Amino acid sequence: MATTAPPPTTTTSFTFPREYHFPPFFSRQTQATTHHAQCSKWSALIRAYSRAHKVFKLSLIDALDGELFHNAALHKRLSLEDARDMLDFMCREGRAEWIGAEKNVAWIWWRSPDEWAAAIADWVDQTGQKNSVLTLYELTESEATISQEFHGMDPELLQKALSILVKRGKAQVFGQEDQQGVKFF
Amino acid sequence: MGNNTSTHKISAQDKAILDMKNQRDKLHQYQKRITVLTDREKAIAKEMLAKGDKPRALLALRRKKYQESLLAKTDAQLEQLEKLTSSVEFALVQKDVVFGLQQGTNVLQEIHKEMGGLDHVEKLMGETADAIAYQQEVSDMLGGRISNHDEDEVEDELEALEAELTGVPLPDVPKTELLARERARAREREREGQLEQRVAMLA
Repeated sequence: MATTAPPPTTTTSFTFPREYHFPPFFSRQTQATTHHAQCSKWSALIRAYSRAHKVFKLSLIDALDGELFHNAALHKRLSLEDARDMLDFMCREGRAEWIGAEKNVAWIWWRSPDEWAAAIADWVDQTGQKNSVLTLYELTESEATISQEFHGMDPELLQKALSILVKRGKAQVFGQEDQQGVKFF
Repeated sequence: MGNNTSTHKISAQDKAILDMKNQRDKLHQYQKRITVLTDREKAIAKEMLAKGDKPRALLALRRKKYQESLLAKTDAQLEQLEKLTSSVEFALVQKDVVFGLQQGTNVLQEIHKEMGGLDHVEKLMGETADAIAYQQEVSDMLGGRISNHDEDEVEDELEALEAELTGVPLPDVPKTELLARERARAREREREGQLEQRVAMLA
């Protein structure tokens, strides 16, 4: 599953933006406005990349050697510190969230849990599965959801999204640990 | 609806369905595992064959065969499970349908009770017919009186209106008879008279 480490580079046809091929993009900009622009560009890039590769959790240590932070053609890479800065910036935007205080792994909200909840609810609505019982495994792993963006979703994130629906009274999660199911209303 | 979770109870049936679906998921996962295993056995067999170790290659292929038979069995089980699950779900739908029908029937009966039975409706219809007939009589009487009084006047007015609309006054009727025509007519009459006489004589 694509959770912590970005998958190998060959699997998708993700096209990097123009800035990615511009060496200064990888070094911290000193001028405040430039730095801000750099941060927003990185934020957009990280989200687009995560969406294309279905990365839900980004591990910085692993990602630093991946193509996202390391442009092999330019021999340029983002330092750990700068990468953390970028993710801090995304956290302030509400587009990322650190997991743990060590700031090594972060959720990348290319869709926020709220948006995920809406996507799942929409899918259930469209497929007429209200009032029927679905397993959590079925939601993310079965053939029925292959065309959906939440296919292969991180189980923890799924729980978060479902808990939002539960709070709104649109779903009910039940069953034992590891064998949970959900009923939509 | 809304945030009231108490209306969204998870019933025992839901739990049973979940159990079945979980079982199905487990079978799916099992199948995935077996598929990985068969692929590996195949790779091993190839490797052994390349090395010239035929017995081992055969062994790997036999294992692969066995695992494939397991796969077929799980497929059958999966089918059973899925059938059962959908039967249960369909039965639940049926239950809902019956409940809906029951509700509808109750409401219908309630409404009928409010209408007070067939006799009441019949009596009411009779009364309605009487009332309509009475009303008809009254309006006939009133209508007749009006026409007697005013019909002539109305017709006169209509004529006047028509004359007004056409606008052209009618030409005077000639008072003098045309002499030539009068004579021609007289001759014609004579001839007809003679014809009749001849017919009478022949007959």
